[in-house]
Amino acid sequence: MSSLVSVEGLAGVVFLVVVAVTLIGGVIATSSTRLPRAVSGLALCLIGIAGLYYFLNSPFLAAMEMLIYVGAVCVTIVFAIMLADPGADKKPGGMTAVGTAGSLGVGALFAWGLAALGTTTMWPAAAVKVNDGSVKAVGHALLTTYSFVFELISVVLLLAIIGALALARSGRDKA
Amino acid sequence: MKFMLFAPELWVLFGSLVLFFVALADGNGRTARFWAALIVVGNIALTSATFFLHGDLFQGVYRIDLFSQLFKVLVAFGLGVVVLMNRDLRDVPERIKPEYYLFLLLSGLGLMMVVSCVELLSLFVALELSSFALYLLVPMRDDRNALRIQMEAASKYILYGVMATGVMLFGMSYLFGLTGTTVLAELLPKLHNIGSQPAALVAIMMVLAGFFFKLGLFPFHFWLPDVYQGAANETSAFIASVPKLAAIALLIRIASFLVPEDQSAGLLLGGLAVASMFYGNLLALVQKDLKRLLGFSGIAHAGYVMLGIVVLKDSGFATAIYYIAGYLIMNLACFLVICNVSTDGGNLQIDDLSGLYRRAPLLAIVLGVGMFSLAGIPPFVGFMGKFMLLAGALKQGYLVLVILAAINTAISIFYYLSVVRVAYCTDPERDDVLPVSFMVKALGVVLVAVIIVMGVAPASLVELAQQAVATIR
Repeated sequence: MSSLVSVEGLAGVVFLVVVAVTLIGGVIATSSTRLPRAVSGLALCLIGIAGLYYFLNSPFLAAMEMLIYVGAVCVTIVFAIMLADPGADKKPGGMTAVGTAGSLGVGALFAWGLAALGTTTMWPAAAVKVNDGSVKAVGHALLTTYSFVFELISVVLLLAIIGALALARSGRDKA
Repeated sequence: MKFMLFAPELWVLFGSLVLFFVALADGNGRTARFWAALIVVGNIALTSATFFLHGDLFQGVYRIDLFSQLFKVLVAFGLGVVVLMNRDLRDVPERIKPEYYLFLLLSGLGLMMVVSCVELLSLFVALELSSFALYLLVPMRDDRNALRIQMEAASKYILYGVMATGVMLFGMSYLFGLTGTTVLAELLPKLHNIGSQPAALVAIMMVLAGFFFKLGLFPFHFWLPDVYQGAANETSAFIASVPKLAAIALLIRIASFLVPEDQSAGLLLGGLAVASMFYGNLLALVQKDLKRLLGFSGIAHAGYVMLGIVVLKDSGFATAIYYIAGYLIMNLACFLVICNVSTDGGNLQIDDLSGLYRRAPLLAIVLGVGMFSLAGIPPFVGFMGKFMLLAGALKQGYLVLVILAAINTAISIFYYLSVVRVAYCTDPERDDVLPVSFMVKALGVVLVAVIIVMGVAPASLVELAQQAVATIR
């Protein structure tokens, strides 16, 4: 057990803070009945995840997480809420007692199972570092090993854009 | 020559580009259908031409071998039948018909790619390409009763789908954590070195869960009846048949990681198979909507085909391939009838089939053969497939599983035959003769012929499937 003021100790504290931020954000996002608040929770959760990436020595991934998820995705959701104005007066019905107990039970079981799995498994230490997580390494991997995925993703994105347009355009008529 | 290896995929990709431009130019449904038909027919020809090729592409993440090409031909055939079987998509709004065909082709493209992927990430992205297209196809239906059932179906589909994808990705992350690689060929020996750690089994099962969703196996089946009911008839025809081929291909690829001695894996898969059969068959008994009935029957059939996977042996995998190929054909035969009997594109109740033998004799025969085959009555492919699955499972000592499956077959005969009874033994409510186009007649005859030939002479196809399975090791 290293002391708190050492480098490892401080890193541990930072890790715990990041995990706490992620968890708190997640709880706010799922338990809030008001959408803007839930989105803020989601943003908080994603910031925590970005911190985890940074902690795992992937600064590029952390930056992308902040930029895309916290920056773009959450802001898009906020825009959607602003434009659609999904009846602020309507309150979604709460869960029944059985539902709450059941979901908590299942969640606890799942968490216990994963935790047990994580601690009992002998995870092999990575023999070689896959890459240093820098932009150069990521770009290199994208254009060599993962070139097929890289190309295919563009088709998926095109499909998503056309699909959104095709569906939303016909939705506008009906309104 | 490397170009030929990738030719079918390039052709479909090129075809979807053409349809994209048709959509951009505000083309009508007729133009889009012409191009789509041209592309799918060319696709069948190209996949057949590349059938015996083999090779690696894209730094070894994409493999062309007998296994992938066999599935590619089947996917191309299914896609072809779905595109050709209806002259005008009656239930899809005219303005988005080009987009409809575009998404259909892209979904087919994703399925053709996914059977060739031998690396987890590319496999995932190819699978998502096909799933995204399907999520989009489901809500593309006229809102006839203003009930928005297609929207309900689409939201159920996408929510369950995303959840299943999440579980699958989580499992993949475990596989990567355990072995440090995403390439299947490198994963396999490393996983065997790890031995019987629970994490390996859990990871594989989580990855399989994503494929179970595609297959509609209990307990990942909730979306299935609703989506069949809510989507347009042609969309249901596609979702009911073609993605299941890819699901079986992926199941076989990943399940080959499991060793047959692993009791818990066999128990789990067998349990899911039995639950799936009972759930599907019992709920199908009370259905009135024909597509919903086929949805529950699909859940049951997912259970049957798992009998081939559960033995975790090459022979079982080969039988599973044979069975799912047969299922594709018989399902398409049933949906061919549904799409053409429903003159306005709406859903069919079972009673709407009354007197079909007089209104459209050929369609009635196609429906009869399809239903008999699904029920597992000789000499059709459904019987032969079930027989081989049960015999294979029995040989591996799964006696209880075989008995339960046989009971289920008996249950299922009731509802399949009651559909045939309505079509043949009741008087028509309407006297009009159903107009059936030449293309539909031809497709019907081809499908019936394939069902009978596959049922009577299964040996060559099973042998081919066995050779195909042998190539993935």
